[in-house]
Amino acid sequence: MTERQVVRAPVRHSPAVRQSPAAGDLYQPDNYAKTLLSSLIRAQLGATVTVLVPAAALLLLYPLLAVLVPSLAHASVGGLPLTFVVLGGGIYPPLVILGFWYRRRASRVEERFAELLEERDD
Amino acid sequence: MTEPLVLGAIVAVAVVTAVLGARGVRVARTPADFLVAARRVPPTLNASAICGEYLSAASFLGIAGLALQDGLGALWYAVGYAAGYLVLLAAVAAPLRRFGAYTIPDFAEGRLDSPLLRRAATVMVLVICGFYLLPQLQGAGLTVQEAVGGPSWIGVVVLGVVVVLGIASGGMKGITFVQAFQYWLKLVAIAVPALVLLLLVQHPALTPVHGAAPPVFHKATRVEFPDAESMRVQRAVTVRAVGTVDGIRRDGTLALGPGDHSIGAGTTLSFPAGTPAPTVSSDALLSYRQWESPLVRIGGHVIHPLASTYGVVLATFLGAIGLPHILVRFYTNRDGEAARKTTSVVLLLLACFYVFPAIFALLGRLEAPQLYTSGQTDSVVLVLPRLAAAGTLGVVLSALTAAGAFAAFLSTSSGLLISMAGAVSHDLLGRGVRTFRISAVAAGVVVTLGALVVGGIAINVLVGWAFAIAASSFCPLLLLGIWWPGLTWKGAIWGLALGGGASSLGVILTIAGIGKTGWPAVLLGEPAIWTVPLAFATMVGVSLLTRRDIPRDVTRKLLALHLPERVRLPEVSA
Repeated sequence: MTERQVVRAPVRHSPAVRQSPAAGDLYQPDNYAKTLLSSLIRAQLGATVTVLVPAAALLLLYPLLAVLVPSLAHASVGGLPLTFVVLGGGIYPPLVILGFWYRRRASRVEERFAELLEERDD
Repeated sequence: MTEPLVLGAIVAVAVVTAVLGARGVRVARTPADFLVAARRVPPTLNASAICGEYLSAASFLGIAGLALQDGLGALWYAVGYAAGYLVLLAAVAAPLRRFGAYTIPDFAEGRLDSPLLRRAATVMVLVICGFYLLPQLQGAGLTVQEAVGGPSWIGVVVLGVVVVLGIASGGMKGITFVQAFQYWLKLVAIAVPALVLLLLVQHPALTPVHGAAPPVFHKATRVEFPDAESMRVQRAVTVRAVGTVDGIRRDGTLALGPGDHSIGAGTTLSFPAGTPAPTVSSDALLSYRQWESPLVRIGGHVIHPLASTYGVVLATFLGAIGLPHILVRFYTNRDGEAARKTTSVVLLLLACFYVFPAIFALLGRLEAPQLYTSGQTDSVVLVLPRLAAAGTLGVVLSALTAAGAFAAFLSTSSGLLISMAGAVSHDLLGRGVRTFRISAVAAGVVVTLGALVVGGIAINVLVGWAFAIAASSFCPLLLLGIWWPGLTWKGAIWGLALGGGASSLGVILTIAGIGKTGWPAVLLGEPAIWTVPLAFATMVGVSLLTRRDIPRDVTRKLLALHLPERVRLPEVSA
């Protein structure tokens, strides 16, 4: 499954797909099934990576900056230590937003995949 | 110092838990009911339940305690505990639910077709849950001791008995409602006191505590020592002592010179205002400047701070996905999409909660320097309300935090014990409600006895180690198993053995007191920084060498993991 196929469906309103007969194609031991599956996995993994990389960068960069720029470690914001402001609350909103954004992206990937199967079925 | 209201709050939490749990008895019929509550839990309820199960003694008491003792860098634990759910959400939640296995050992065998791997995974479940359960019981001991005085084993035994009875009778159906209730209880129990204290406390402006000064008693302060301690005095001071000091019984004024003094259990020392607060001899004395650094300290000392911080971040960020008692909850989601919804709500709920331990740490630093003196930093959330708010209000608020703390131990220990009992009965011995009940009782007794033996290590550090072990074993197993077709059972077993083994060994050596300085302290005390890469490298490397062992129907397995439910053929939807 090295070949990459981009999953892209035309913009149209599709009826809710419940049991697509084309899903059966996925269980056939041929290359088409493997390509379909790997394109689904790649699309999903893409969504995963685009969320986890910024999150990891956020978590790993701050300690690094604190070591490189010691004044950052002792800065204060409105009388409160910067560390308290960041680790005690400020770091959470971006993480939560990333989480909700991922959820939307992942369900869009799955919608498109369902449409792709349905289209083949037509 | 018996506080009837505090004791009442603890009893009330235990009773409500028992009543809610008992409602489940009528519903629980089969082992599947016990383990996953028949998969009919809506996402918001499920998210509350997961948070209820997740927020343990470490979150409720430990983070504030460790941040008070070792500085604000300890808040990385909280950040990692929450951020771990982003990894869970984006990489694990939906596929694992779709695969349709009950437990991690189920997943391991289902994905890689190896009964041997299943047993290896079961052993790791017991190790991780065991490590996680000890600090819960330890925290219960602390809470009951704070409420009624006396030895801490009472709390340990009470919690052990309540949890074992609850599980052996109710199973998880009851527990889901209990856990959800306990999240909200915990949130209220930490948020209300924190906000009230913020308003009440006339703390000095933060600027005077900036700089090199150690914490000072702002007013005349009575310090109680529930346990025997060695105390280090910085500046000669005359105190009023009741109890044993340096081996001699005292009852009256006493001049203490600079240096170490041994204080007997049950002693009370009254310090005059303006004295720098003495510390426990083995703890470092942190100036405000050192205390506010965002880097993790090991036992109060800065040892290779970037490596230590990354060790904590890696362990907590990646460890959450490998916690057996949390993962089992994801099977109670209707489908993969619901699992995602649940997880994103969990992230939100956790972020709301973790603001408050930080507030307690900051207020504790300003208002309760005596906790450094008596070595009771882990109890800051329990005692700060009474120290900072006078009279009835203080008592009510401390009853609230005691109730929240007890809810934290109850819910997390229940989840952990269910996982252990499930691992023993479902994965090692075969199925059956009877076996499950017997396993629950046996595991509960063993861990309670274990908790009576250990002690003296910060709650949060113990829980951090459970995360480090999970991050070095189940994290690579799940991530590679879900996303990489090339994983083989041999690779997985070697990875579990080397990653899980090395991290467990590091933790055990640290507990045994080996490697207290330099790189050994970092590499053994925060093992995740090297054991996580080791586990990943081993699983990938060995799998590449044993390509013949890739399951023949790997495509089918990946379909089961990744195919959305709506395009699924009926026979593969597990």
